[in-house]
Amino acid sequence: MTTYLGQLRAIVWKDLLVELRSRERLTAMGAFAVLAGVLFAFSIDTTTTRPQDVAAGLIWMTLVFGGLLGVGRTFHLEAQDAAFQGILTSPAPKDVVFLGKTLANFALLYVISLLVLFVFALFFGLELGPNVGWVVFVLGLGSLGFVALGTLFAAVSAGTTMGETLLPILIFPLLVPMVIYGVGATGRLIAGRPFSEIEGNVRMLGAFAVAALAVGAVLFRYVVED
Amino acid sequence: MSTTGLRRGGLTLTLLGLAGLTGLYWMSFFWVSTEINQGVVQRIFYVHVPAAWTSFLAFGIAALLSGVYLWLRDPRLDRAASCAAEGGLVFATIMLTTGPLWGKIAWGTYWTWEPRLTLTLLLWFIFLGYFMVRNSTEDPEKGKRFAAVVAIVGALDIPFIHLSVGWFRSLHPQPVVIKPEGPTLPGDMLATLLTGFAVFTVLFFGLFLFRYALEGLRAEVDVRARRSTA
Repeated sequence: MTTYLGQLRAIVWKDLLVELRSRERLTAMGAFAVLAGVLFAFSIDTTTTRPQDVAAGLIWMTLVFGGLLGVGRTFHLEAQDAAFQGILTSPAPKDVVFLGKTLANFALLYVISLLVLFVFALFFGLELGPNVGWVVFVLGLGSLGFVALGTLFAAVSAGTTMGETLLPILIFPLLVPMVIYGVGATGRLIAGRPFSEIEGNVRMLGAFAVAALAVGAVLFRYVVED
Repeated sequence: MSTTGLRRGGLTLTLLGLAGLTGLYWMSFFWVSTEINQGVVQRIFYVHVPAAWTSFLAFGIAALLSGVYLWLRDPRLDRAASCAAEGGLVFATIMLTTGPLWGKIAWGTYWTWEPRLTLTLLLWFIFLGYFMVRNSTEDPEKGKRFAAVVAIVGALDIPFIHLSVGWFRSLHPQPVVIKPEGPTLPGDMLATLLTGFAVFTVLFFGLFLFRYALEGLRAEVDVRARRSTA
């Protein structure tokens, strides 16, 4: 168990360190999130629609597209110089590699999702009040489910000749439950409804994230074996 | 079973299915009584529902075989999975075209975000991904593994999709055959529908065996070609 956690920590730390030093994905995702917020603000006719009413959906769309941008490049850097082969031949089991990569991606995406929330709160004039904690929590659960599926299928698409182009086709249909429950919960929280109203959504988001992590941890070995 | 045997079996079942299809069309156009509320448009139901059943059956078989393939690594399992997935895609396309045609008259709109409609559309795209992944790897073995992973994750995601799109909204007619208090469909309509189920299932297995035999031949040709160049 201690070796397992040690290996996990090593992989998460390595990925985060690489990201902290290069800031490649974080910058791209962050800039994307802010610019998407700007474009979405212009895409709404404020004479017919209140921005607050559609903000929840747009927050999640920004998260999905921005996340795709970062998660799609999970294996990009290590594909060069066959560095990923090195990780695979290390004594760490494949599920540790998967969970490590997923957790590192989660840390990145969660930072971005908080940025997305901030940007939309600013541009769309959201008043979250006491619900802000729950919104942050719901975005976290959604991000976790997203990165679990995203990391697994990033490995799949990285192994194909189509590369990242394939990733949205593979994961968008699978992400529908996450988007439906996530938008439903976020929208109600933004509208000032109490948490009890979205408890079911939060449970489903949690179950989705746990299932995605478990399935990814089991199936990842079949994706990367050679 | 030998490839010839498979082909013969496939041919027999397909011919049987096609003959049954003629019978089903006759039944649904001339024999069965017209539904009182919806009128003649309801007859599309005898094609739509069996196609839906068959595509779910086919996708289920594909996902199951994919799982066993990753475990046993028998190339025959992968071939069978891809043939079933192909059949599923065909029957899902039938369901997705007949549904909106009926919906335009019954609901007044071609498309609505009705749970079962949405689920089928998503399934269709999941298995489109299955074939895209399969055909875009340099190493075919890798493509088979990737496709199996897509099918398994897709199958496991279905309960979540089902619950979430149901939570989103529901407009679809409620089940009329499989429900706790027994079928509420009039006798002749039930008979036509059940004929439809039988015909589509037989047709699917006929086409499936045909495709499977063809893929077997293809694999054999590959092996021989490799041997002659070696």
